Amino acid sequence: LASMSTSERIKAIQKMPGTMKKKREIRFVSLSSFALQSFRRFGNSLSEYFHLLQLGHKTLKIIGANFGTSVLSYFIFLKWLLAFNIFSFVINFSFITVPQFVAAEPNNLSFTGLELFTGAGYFQETVLYYGFYSNATISKTENGPSYNMQLAYIFTVGIYFVICFLILLFSMAKSFCRNFVNPQIRSGIASKLLCIWDFNITNEKAVKLKQKNISMQIKEDLAEVNREVLNFSATERVVRIVIHLVCWVASLGTAVAACAGVYFLSINNLKVFVKGHKNDLESQAAMLVLPVVASLLNTFIPFFYSWLGHLERFQTPGHQIYVTITRNIILKISIVGILCYYWLNIVAVSESQCWETLVGQDIYRLVLVDFIFCLLGSFFGEFLRRIIGTIVCVNLGLPEFDIGRNVLDLIYAQTLTWIGILFSPLLPGIQMISYSIVFYVKKVSLMMNCQPPRKVWRTGQMTTSFMLLLFFPSFLGVLSVIGVTIWRLKPSEECGPFRGLSSMYDAVSEWIKILENYTASKWVVWIYHNLITSELFFFILSVVVLIITYLYWQITEGRKTVIKLLQKQIMNEGKEKRLLLQKLWEPQRKTENPSVPRGQGQQVSLIVQVLLFQLRAWYGFMWFL
Amino acid sequence: MASVWRQTKAALQAASSFEAFDTLIKSQLLEQDCTFFTRKEILRLHGRYHEMAPNVVPMDYTKDPDVKLPMQLIINMPELKENPFRERIVESFSEDGEGSLSFNDFVDMFSVLSEMAPRELKAIYAFKIYDFNTDNFICKSDLEKTLNKLTREELTAEEITLVCEKVIEEADMDGDGKLGFADFENMISKAPDFLSTFHIRI
Repeated sequence: LASMSTSERIKAIQKMPGTMKKKREIRFVSLSSFALQSFRRFGNSLSEYFHLLQLGHKTLKIIGANFGTSVLSYFIFLKWLLAFNIFSFVINFSFITVPQFVAAEPNNLSFTGLELFTGAGYFQETVLYYGFYSNATISKTENGPSYNMQLAYIFTVGIYFVICFLILLFSMAKSFCRNFVNPQIRSGIASKLLCIWDFNITNEKAVKLKQKNISMQIKEDLAEVNREVLNFSATERVVRIVIHLVCWVASLGTAVAACAGVYFLSINNLKVFVKGHKNDLESQAAMLVLPVVASLLNTFIPFFYSWLGHLERFQTPGHQIYVTITRNIILKISIVGILCYYWLNIVAVSESQCWETLVGQDIYRLVLVDFIFCLLGSFFGEFLRRIIGTIVCVNLGLPEFDIGRNVLDLIYAQTLTWIGILFSPLLPGIQMISYSIVFYVKKVSLMMNCQPPRKVWRTGQMTTSFMLLLFFPSFLGVLSVIGVTIWRLKPSEECGPFRGLSSMYDAVSEWIKILENYTASKWVVWIYHNLITSELFFFILSVVVLIITYLYWQITEGRKTVIKLLQKQIMNEGKEKRLLLQKLWEPQRKTENPSVPRGQGQQVSLIVQVLLFQLRAWYGFMWFL
Repeated sequence: MASVWRQTKAALQAASSFEAFDTLIKSQLLEQDCTFFTRKEILRLHGRYHEMAPNVVPMDYTKDPDVKLPMQLIINMPELKENPFRERIVESFSEDGEGSLSFNDFVDMFSVLSEMAPRELKAIYAFKIYDFNTDNFICKSDLEKTLNKLTREELTAEEITLVCEKVIEEADMDGDGKLGFADFENMISKAPDFLSTFHIRI
């Protein structure tokens, strides 16, 4: 302990399995510097204030107590997404909206209640949309400090996305490290048995239910093991493959049909909108058709997919769940993709006055209708289903909380919000409110209507896969859409902070040109020209990253081989030990010499312990990598 | 020198008993460096410990009292009441092995069961909990007792024997018929959910 630094010593003391008394004694002896102690205590009190922001701690405890960790992971994920939106709203509001209030133009339109649903009308000329922001350099007093709106807009959005990228990357890596296990290592009954009890559950009924589920699961496992592996004949295998193919074609076909429907509907929408600015009820309602159709497709096609899943006879239920979720992901990605294509290629080059505001309004309506459908889904899916399950058709029983479908809905809503940040800076604020309401509604619906899940998913892997899904299709897709918008598309001539430029990115290049004239900021210009816009730098960076990844991969493969060898060695040592003990006990019965066998036996068990320790160390290296 | 300074500081700031306790936590008890909790959480834990037996647990820790609460009180806490392993949990964290916990042991227990404790520490205590006869090995009888507690004795005797044999066959690497700590830890490393299920929120 003496050779470690203070923080390492404290971590080592925390990890020691001794009692508190022993730890305190060690701590008094080892840490003597008072200044260091007071500094650490200051750090601790700071972190305590951050813990105050732990909203809903009690709610999470109640949910975990009644339903277990897997359902809890959905609510934790929802809270995490809420944090992203709060952060985005705060920085957008402070850096973009507040300066705009200083230079705001008066709003001449009247407010009717319908704007809350359509986002058009009165809201068009407010800070809600891109079109309202000015492109001027705002200054409160003459010759006072000025605030360049163009740079503020592009840098705020850019820095927010960079921070999100880093946060997602690190959370994913940490979660992967902690929870993800090589799926090739089949966890048999042993690890299932000793890790299956969920210590979070504290409700009496939930505990009894969990115990019943465990005994059912063990009986099923025993029955599966006793059954022999089914060997299919050639014709049966062909039939199964054909069924799988047909189902995949059906699901992909449905996704394509849904996309085509959304595309044609949106083109019609645009024609109606560009043609006339009739502000009557009919044209306002017509604007809502597209979001309602998109949400209906998103709600009902997944039911079709689960029915297809039941039709195909999969070998394991886990297989069925993964395939159904993959199909849902493909559906949602294609709908978002087709909408982005429509916005970037058709709306952006249309004759409308302010295409960014149009896109912003579309996204606002989509987000709002999705929120309403989420609440309706909770009502119909859980409340009515409970009534049907308990009164009308008692065999069905209470519904279970469908974690996969709910998480995919959350990721879809978050993707739309991220795309919308550029076109409607205050959209995260709206999403913030909607997530809080959804959290509360889902919690109430869960407690009133649902029962704890029967088959427990691997919670750790689930959390990692949620984050992976959030990062790969969702966040990277959003980054590419924003990238195309900033680099390739021409902003509208008459509205927004980038009016008159040939692309949004030109604001930055013009700023760099201005900076070149000042000697004090030559280093900024140097970084811009040689690091950010130079292709050679990124090429070298990519090559270096690839080489490092390859090296780490080779090291991991080498260590896997060593682990296998060590395991074999342990088994051999165990056999040797038993053989030795047998041989030595025989003469012991004849000559009554007690000391010798014990000594030899101890030696062999010592070797075994050393080998097991080595194995643990290698596992530790693997986790570290 | 530092301890004299600390005690003078403690004496000077003793206004009410709660403030004295607060200062003493800051200057003398220093549990926050030995556990994974912050000072506020330790104070909250002390509130919970106190309300279990308000007549016995003092609010004033100046004389470093040797107060231990018996197991019966602790296993009636709402977080532990329905847990089938509650007696074993409390016994594993008590110093004398009988289940009576002092405040230090109480904080230690919830610290290990919190989400910030690392996997290795949790594995050590999980092994102690499942080792019913405390012989540092999980033998067949320990597994049978665990299984009975997990399934509320709904399995038949032969199913129980079958499952226990399978577990030992799968996890025992050196072939001595029972699971040592190294076998147990090796098996835990294959279970990705262990960290999230071996967790009690307080």
